[in-house]
Amino acid sequence: MSSSPPLNPFQLDPAGIEERAREIRKKIVHMNSAAGQGHTGADLSEADILATLFFRVLRFHPDNPTDPERDRFILSKGHGVGGFYCTLAEAGILVPALLDTYLKFDSSLPGHPVRQKTPFVEINTGALGHGLSVGVGLALSARLSGRRFRVYVLLGDGELQEGSNWEAAMSAAHFKLGNIVAIVDRNTLQLADRTESIMALEPLSAKWEGFGFEVASADGNDPADLVRVIESFDTAGTKPHVLLASTVKGKGVSFMEGQAAWHHKIPVGDQLRQAIEELE
Amino acid sequence: MTAQAATRDMREAIVEELIRSSEGGVPVVVLVSDSTTTSAISPFRARYPDRLVNVGIAEQNLLGIAAGLSLGGFISVTANAACFLVARSCEQLKNDICYSATDVKLLGLNAGVAYGPLGSTHHAIDDISIMRGMGTIRIFAPADAIEAAQTLRHALHTPGPVYIRLDNVPLPVFHGPRYEFVPGRIDVAAEGTDVIVFALGSLVPEALLAREWAAATGVSVSVVNMSSIRPIDAESVARQAALSGRVVTVEEHSLHGGIGSLVAETLAERGLSVRMARLGIPEGEFAKAGPRAEIRQYYGIDARGIQRAVLRIAGREG
Repeated sequence: MSSSPPLNPFQLDPAGIEERAREIRKKIVHMNSAAGQGHTGADLSEADILATLFFRVLRFHPDNPTDPERDRFILSKGHGVGGFYCTLAEAGILVPALLDTYLKFDSSLPGHPVRQKTPFVEINTGALGHGLSVGVGLALSARLSGRRFRVYVLLGDGELQEGSNWEAAMSAAHFKLGNIVAIVDRNTLQLADRTESIMALEPLSAKWEGFGFEVASADGNDPADLVRVIESFDTAGTKPHVLLASTVKGKGVSFMEGQAAWHHKIPVGDQLRQAIEELE
Repeated sequence: MTAQAATRDMREAIVEELIRSSEGGVPVVVLVSDSTTTSAISPFRARYPDRLVNVGIAEQNLLGIAAGLSLGGFISVTANAACFLVARSCEQLKNDICYSATDVKLLGLNAGVAYGPLGSTHHAIDDISIMRGMGTIRIFAPADAIEAAQTLRHALHTPGPVYIRLDNVPLPVFHGPRYEFVPGRIDVAAEGTDVIVFALGSLVPEALLAREWAAATGVSVSVVNMSSIRPIDAESVARQAALSGRVVTVEEHSLHGGIGSLVAETLAERGLSVRMARLGIPEGEFAKAGPRAEIRQYYGIDARGIQRAVLRIAGREG
């Protein structure tokens, strides 16, 4: 019943993806600074992953956000929405001026993704531990309807402390869903401190393996490495996949890198100038 | 209704409707959380084995997967015990289903104190209250098998989240074959002039029985089946209540946020002054555990209890 899936509209090489990621980061810093709020550290941490997905991996038509054959992307770590919006703007899906409305009253760009408001938002996230289950349902729907789309779910690492992720992981393996790819933004920091001091996740790779996933690791801030690993996954197979992407929270801005305090801090004044200089 | 009315388990009618709609081309997927017997789903499974998804004992995952399947073009119908549906997976209910407005139909099985002796872990006396806080979800509580099938048929043919509160015992079928469930329209099950009883689900037959007994003592009772809780026919509720000015509500639910609350709010907002008794599990309490009939008797929500309340409100007690 399915027609051919679309292609990625950009198909950039790693150097091209890096360039886009740099533009996304600049947008993030400007947007959050103007809004006076936002999860800057998380947005910057995930920028290379988002750029790799939207400018290389995901198959979709930018002008057809409801194409039933499109690959699905779910931002389970919904607080990283700033990076997501800026990626959509960089891809030409959102008008850049719309970023000025981020977090404003009844904006189409609220502080967590809302599918009724923003194209290519598949599900309303923000509460953690929801995206993988929804992804499993989508992946199952593809099999039941004979479609070939893949489902990519971006998870925060702190998010993995929510038990519902492991219900979802168990079911992805049980249902033999090779068409689902979980990507963990492993920046090792959560809101208050390091994940390992709050509630340890390690050995994380062994956990996912135990739950029946194919596990791979990559430098989550290096598009070449991300492309290499993501494209190695057999999404027509019967085993779900997880990429543990080592990232640096606040990546690209020296004074934010690796600082939990920048989880939802905003650069102002000299900080903003320095951040933009470093990203140029 | 009479004591001789035929009885039927709502779940049979629900499963028949799932099969009928599937045969008619509705892309139904039924999801259970190890609740295949609770939902009496085996006839559907026999017919559509690929369309039954069992997620195991994982109610949060149940709703997330249901949302995902609906985003992939299916109509998801979840079937598990109401107590776990509303409590264990409350956040998925809120975000994945209601806030995201996914096409998921939720069957709340064994609602109220249907699990009687199993205690408050298994009672769902808060489901309507919780659902009323969940955005735009439609909330139905059918009172017999005929109506149960119709609420589901309506849900399967209109987009968006729906909650259907169900019972698990054979109940008198008091609707005729030509009955038509209309969301947002009250169902006057029996007319009367002295007192009006607004009843919920499986207590509608109890209210009808109480009505017969009250008639024997010269009190004429009207019984309204409150099967459409959202949308609610507020104007008709107010109009019916105003006819006698004497109102009883009865529900196997907490008095917090159930139909008693809803009727009281509706009347108060219209400035209607009535004599009113709300029967249910008192606010601020869990229900006692024990045989269901005895729980109903204890809280005065069985036919005898309804009759007592009716006579009291009618000024005919003692």
